[in-house]
Amino acid sequence: MKTAFVKYFFRQALTNIADNRMVHLVGIGTIAIAFIIFNSFVLVYVNINHWSDELGKSLTMSIYFKDQPESIQVEEIKKELINIQGVTIDKYVSKEEAMKALAEELGDKAGLLNGLHENPLPASLEIIFSRADRDDSLPYHLKRKLEKMDIVDEVQYSQEWTRKIKAIMGGIKLIGSIIGGLLFLATLFIITNTIKLTVFARKNEIEILRLVGATNLFIKTPFLIEGSIQGLLGGLIAVIILFAAYMTVIIKTELRIGFAALDVVFISPYLTVFLLLMSVIIGFAGSSIALGRFFRT
Amino acid sequence: MMIQLFNVYKNFGPKNPAIVDVSLKIEKGEFVFITGPSGAGKTTLLKIIFCSEKPTSGNALVNRINLNRIRERDLAFLRRKIGIVFQDFKLLPNRNVFNNVALCLEIAGVQYSIIRKKVHQTLRHLGLAKKERYYPPQLSGGEQQRVAIARAIINNPLILLADEPTGNLDPDLTMEIMAVLREIHERGTTVLVATHSQDLLKNTGKRIITLNKGRIVK
Repeated sequence: MKTAFVKYFFRQALTNIADNRMVHLVGIGTIAIAFIIFNSFVLVYVNINHWSDELGKSLTMSIYFKDQPESIQVEEIKKELINIQGVTIDKYVSKEEAMKALAEELGDKAGLLNGLHENPLPASLEIIFSRADRDDSLPYHLKRKLEKMDIVDEVQYSQEWTRKIKAIMGGIKLIGSIIGGLLFLATLFIITNTIKLTVFARKNEIEILRLVGATNLFIKTPFLIEGSIQGLLGGLIAVIILFAAYMTVIIKTELRIGFAALDVVFISPYLTVFLLLMSVIIGFAGSSIALGRFFRT
Repeated sequence: MMIQLFNVYKNFGPKNPAIVDVSLKIEKGEFVFITGPSGAGKTTLLKIIFCSEKPTSGNALVNRINLNRIRERDLAFLRRKIGIVFQDFKLLPNRNVFNNVALCLEIAGVQYSIIRKKVHQTLRHLGLAKKERYYPPQLSGGEQQRVAIARAIINNPLILLADEPTGNLDPDLTMEIMAVLREIHERGTTVLVATHSQDLLKNTGKRIITLNKGRIVK
C-alpha cells in the first residue's frame, strides 16, 4: 500500500477520534472495564497455574503422627521407608520444632501462639519421592498403608494439592470462559454501536467520498483503524490499571495455602501482548460489523 | 465517443418520469450545454452520466463502459475520470478548502508534495489562494462554487459535468468561471454544463441540448 494512503488513513482515523471525543471515550472506557474483568480472571488463572507448578516441582509427603511418637517407632517407619525405591527421608519434625517453625513464619505475629495451652501441632516425617517415581500409584498406596498404622494420624502428599488445584483451575477456566465470552460479546456490541454512531454522523461525508471516486476500502479503512485504536487504548488502560492494582494491593497481600506463603505473579509479557492483541481484534471486528451494516443499507 | 445514451428512461415513481426516451452522443472533447426550465431533467441526466442514478430502462455508456453493468470498484475508478460540480456543491464542512480540493488526489494515492503543489496552483487559478484554510461554512456561495470547481478539475478529468456552475455568481464571476471551463475544455476535457440561464448560452458557439419534461426538444 502506498505510504500516502497509510498517512491519510491514520490522519483520518485520529481526526475522527478527536472530532467524536465523547463517543470514543465511552467506547474506550467500556472496553477497559470489560478487559479489567477479563484480565483479572486471567491473572487468577495464571497464578493458580503458577502455584500448582511450584507445588508439582517437588513431590513430597508429610506423615503426621498422633502424639509425640517414640523415637524407636519413628526409626521403624524410617527403616521401612528407606527400603522403598525412590523414597528419600527428608527430615523428622517434632512437635516443638513444628511450633518453632510456625513462630518463625508468623514473625512479629508470633505472639498469637502464646495463648495456646498446649502445642496443637503434630510431629511429622517428611519424605521426598525421586523424579522417576512420580506416578500417582506409589504415594497413593504408601499413604493408604501408612494411615493404617496406629501412630499415624494423617498422610498428605503434594500431588493431592496439585490435583485439588487442578480441579479449582478447571472451575475457574469454565467460569472465566463464560464470563469472557459474555464480555467479548458485550464489548463487541458496544464498539459496533460506537463506530456506527460515528459512521452515521459522517453519512454525508461517506456519500461525497463515494461520489468523488473513493473505493469502499478507502472509505472503510480509517473506521477500521479507529476501532482498532479504540480497542488498543481500552486494552492498554485495563492492563495498566490491573498492573497498578497488582503493584499496590495484590503484591502486598499475603496469600497462603495452609501455612505456605504463595507469591503472586503478574500476567507474563507474552500474555499481556496477546491480551492487547485481542482488544485490537475486538475493536477491528466491532468496526467491521458496524461498517458492514452501513454499507449494506 | 465519450458519452452515449440509448433510449434512456428514468422514473422516480410511476407518475413521475424525469427522463423520457433520451438518446444522445457526445464526442470526446466536445463542450455541450444542457438547458431547459426547472424540472426539465437536466440534473437527472447528469446524474445518470455520473452513475449516481441508474436508468429505469435504456443504456448509458461513458468512456465505452456500460453503466448498467459496472461493478462497484470500477465505478469508483470511472468517477475519478469524471469531475463533477454539484448544484449544492457537496463540500465537506469539516475539512478546509485545501483538504476539500485535495480529496480527489488523496483518493488516487498521490504523494502529499504533489498534492500540495497542485492544490495551490488550482486554488490560485480560481482566486481562492487566500481562502485555503477556510472551512466551507465560512465562505460565500460563490466561493463554495469555485471550491467545488477546483475539486472537479484538479484531477484533469476526461469529462467535466457542471450543474448550474454559475448559479450563485455575479456576472463578473460568471465570466471567470466560464473562462475556467473553456480552458479545461481546451486541454481536451469533454465538458457538459447544465444551466437554465439563457444569458450563458448567448454567442457560445457550442452545442446546446434543450430538455423539457424529460425529453430532448432541441
